[in-house]
Amino acid sequence: MSEVISTTDLRQLVGDWLSQGKRVVGPRQVKPDLILYEPLVNGEQLLLDGFVRPSNSIKEFVFPRHESVYAYLFQGKELDLVDAEVPFREQVLLAARPCDAAALPILDPLFNWDYEDEFYNTRRRTTTVVSLACLAHDDACFCTSVGLGPAETRGSDAILLSTGDDEFVVQPVNEKGRALFSGHTRGSAAEPTFPPGPKKKFKPGHVQTFLREQFESSFWQEQTLRCLGCGACAYTCPTCHCFDIVDEGNATGGIRAKNWDSCQFSMFTLHASGHNPRNVQAQRQRQRLLHKFLVYPEKFGKILCTGCGNCTRNCPVSLGVLSVLEALGTGQSI
Amino acid sequence: MIESLRKICRDLLQSNEVQVVIGYGQSGPGKPVHPVFVRRPEDIHQLVWNEHCYTNLVAYLKRKEVQSLGKAAIIVKGCDERALVVLEKESQLERKNLHVIGVACEGMGEPRLRKCQTCKVRLPRFANEVVGQMASAVDDSRPRWNELEEFLKQSPAERMAYWVEELGRCLKCYACRQVCPLCYCERCLVDKNRPTCINTSATPKGNFAWHITRAFHLAGRCVGCDECTRACPVGIDLRLLNQSLARAAEEQFNYRAGMDPQAEILLGSYSLQDKESFIG
Repeated sequence: MSEVISTTDLRQLVGDWLSQGKRVVGPRQVKPDLILYEPLVNGEQLLLDGFVRPSNSIKEFVFPRHESVYAYLFQGKELDLVDAEVPFREQVLLAARPCDAAALPILDPLFNWDYEDEFYNTRRRTTTVVSLACLAHDDACFCTSVGLGPAETRGSDAILLSTGDDEFVVQPVNEKGRALFSGHTRGSAAEPTFPPGPKKKFKPGHVQTFLREQFESSFWQEQTLRCLGCGACAYTCPTCHCFDIVDEGNATGGIRAKNWDSCQFSMFTLHASGHNPRNVQAQRQRQRLLHKFLVYPEKFGKILCTGCGNCTRNCPVSLGVLSVLEALGTGQSI
Repeated sequence: MIESLRKICRDLLQSNEVQVVIGYGQSGPGKPVHPVFVRRPEDIHQLVWNEHCYTNLVAYLKRKEVQSLGKAAIIVKGCDERALVVLEKESQLERKNLHVIGVACEGMGEPRLRKCQTCKVRLPRFANEVVGQMASAVDDSRPRWNELEEFLKQSPAERMAYWVEELGRCLKCYACRQVCPLCYCERCLVDKNRPTCINTSATPKGNFAWHITRAFHLAGRCVGCDECTRACPVGIDLRLLNQSLARAAEEQFNYRAGMDPQAEILLGSYSLQDKESFIG
């Protein structure tokens, strides 16, 4: 016996959450060729099938691309500092892909390591993640290579599994998820159906050995030459989390803000002296993989990648984590 | 056709006339086509040509990693080649240091990209050699500004609402800048931080500042390859902004970037006959 909710009731429930003042974020058809996780205005906007995954990730709803951390105001010779308001609005991240949800527990230790990030933590506390098990994958998907899968529940408070009959089995993962659907499901004998995930494409252990031993290998230059140095991979990645601190203001005051940053930009490591320890793009690409598969696991015990494939799909020249690691496996030129 | 393309490139590498061929490769049928850098004659089989060769490879000529490989042969479509014309006029490259292989192009994508539907340069015009022939004649009659004119029929308030929404999605990943063959500044204005010229924040203000500045810096220079639009991960239709400026250059100054190598560059020349009617 399982608990199920029909598609119609789910859309109705979105409306209920919205009228309770919650923000509800889910996949939405923004333009004919563009599906993004975006705040929904009604339940009808929620896109539930017919696509692999949105082009962005849910990270921006817990770690926004731009966030003011405090404001400053010059008063004559005095300086006033004004704390930024910590966001506390309840939100539901609905129909998140398991590869998006799984990124959150990977990021949690980072934002609570040497400093507890109040903004991130508050958002995490006020967010309920309801994932939707994948019904499709494409060539860019590789969740199974990093220990995840199409019905993975890590990072989710509840998961929805399609029965193929316009309804979903609701499986709460914890109390938060249970509370969200309480009273909105009915008992059913229906069983969820979903296809297996992508076949495994590389072994993380193999990648880690290569990263340890081949820091100076010509592999990096050869395989990443086509990288043009934009941040499309990092900014649509569920786990990339680097940010820059900037001041924006004028003679009377302004804000200090946290803005997303990317290790693929040439300025990322540029020193004030003019020296740049990562002077060419191959070093920056190597850094990206080192951080994801070696540095982060050594520090926090988790691979900084969920295999969503967004880096490959969003790259203007189709270079992502997967294409580089696949080339590593076979020794073939990509 | 692919065999003659490969033969030309193999010969160039074998004779050491060039040290690298910048072309298109594909890891298998149905897989995405991506740029490749072939440095050995025996690797020439990596080169492919089909209707998914979207990238404007001219963007690689600004990359120091690519420059360091030696003299290059580059494969261009007619639209890509227009960027070469502008770069040469702007003293950014010397043609004697570059071998240009043009490929006859019937258009990219299925259905064809918007730029391909009104393309008038399907046969590269200034390449060292051109591979392939056009199967069909160029249809010269299709108007180029239809979409723009349709867009401009809206009221200023409606257009503003459109851009607020479109640019509101911008993540500031700068894919539009990185893929652009004509964005070659060693330090982009948005990267200047002592002091900051343009807000780096992906906020409405910061995003408008970036995109309007980007478009203005390409006024009379943009060749309409639409790579910025293709590269944008959040689907911002930068083509509309670029077209608006291209049309102004054409209607006010009878100038189309990258079409005529003899024409003086628009922003680098002055004529007493220049119109002033569009100012103010």
